[in-house]
Amino acid sequence: MKAQRLSRAQRTLLSCAPINEERIRDRSMRAALSRARGSKEFANQQSFDRAMAALVDAIPIPPETAEWFSDKDFFPASKWTWKKMMRNPAVLAVGIAVLVIAGVFVFNLLNHLNDFPGSATARKLLVLASSTRPVLLDPVDADAGTLGDLFFMKHGLEHYEVPPEFADFRTIGCRVFEDEESRRIAQIWLVEKRMQLFLFPAERNMKTGAVLRFPGWRYVQQEGWTGAVAEHNGVCFMAALRGRKDDLIRYISEAKE
Amino acid sequence: MLGDSRKAQEVFQATLREAAASAAHGDVPREPFWLFREARWRCLEESKTDLQAEPLEMEEYEITPEASLQIEQLEPAQLAIWISSAPEPQRTALALFYLNEFDYGEILDLADLKLSELSRLLVMGRRQFQAWLNMMAPQISKI
Repeated sequence: MKAQRLSRAQRTLLSCAPINEERIRDRSMRAALSRARGSKEFANQQSFDRAMAALVDAIPIPPETAEWFSDKDFFPASKWTWKKMMRNPAVLAVGIAVLVIAGVFVFNLLNHLNDFPGSATARKLLVLASSTRPVLLDPVDADAGTLGDLFFMKHGLEHYEVPPEFADFRTIGCRVFEDEESRRIAQIWLVEKRMQLFLFPAERNMKTGAVLRFPGWRYVQQEGWTGAVAEHNGVCFMAALRGRKDDLIRYISEAKE
Repeated sequence: MLGDSRKAQEVFQATLREAAASAAHGDVPREPFWLFREARWRCLEESKTDLQAEPLEMEEYEITPEASLQIEQLEPAQLAIWISSAPEPQRTALALFYLNEFDYGEILDLADLKLSELSRLLVMGRRQFQAWLNMMAPQISKI
């Protein structure tokens, strides 16, 4: 070892130098080794250590000691089971989270399964219907079917016609108002089961402006109210009443017959 | 470290029992090699009551280039006896170092030694072993 080139700390480190150089992990040891490389004294130490390690490796393990380290497992690894895995708090937490997410997804999917163009507006109008009082409307005692002319003549609303299914019912009142998107909506209150009718512009394609049509009657439900919606000439009609879908279906089927 | 397989087995089993109990209570130390250190302290405790070798002033000799050839002539058991008869903590230092399983940092941790102490013990061990080799296999040293 060339003592003049090595510091005292490096000499200390070199005396503990690993027998196999691949085991070196720290930089100070690597630095000391690189400085000592080529030194005769260090080469002697390394060959001495290697020979000693080889001899230590050859020391036979007494049979009675070898028995302590048998191939058999001291503690057999516990079997993996679904039951055990389910009891793992992390798995349990993930499982619950996935179930909740799946539940919300299914709920949303079911809610929007019967969606149609204008269903969001229809739902909003059902909320409005539940809170409307007759005094808010202008009193009109007429057949609902005749109010189309009134809406056209008085408010310039084209195609705001009540479909034949509900045209013969007597009205208590009506009004025209604008919603938060400045769409003009006609509301009619009927004597029949205190039913309310709404006429509002059908949804349009954002790019082309074309009316998003849908065939036949569609149903929406909100806060105990049910609405039957149909589109005709770019105007949606909704009949709304407090009750179930069957109560409305009856009017539509009777009219067909 | 004990030179007595019955005692070694007792230490081995006691250490494992202790480790299993600690693991069962969830208070396994975070430091690595705690099991080895525990086993070493048990061995030292066990050997306290044994007959102790008289402190001996051993000759020392500079490592020679022929040392590896001299070592090759030895029986493994001879080396085992030589290391096991070394005084503590030299015995631990030599055993762990030549076991070639731990790096010097791990040996320091295991044997509760400082780097300078480990270095001194290894240097002294090599020189003493060389002197013993020269005595046991003189013919090669003279080549």
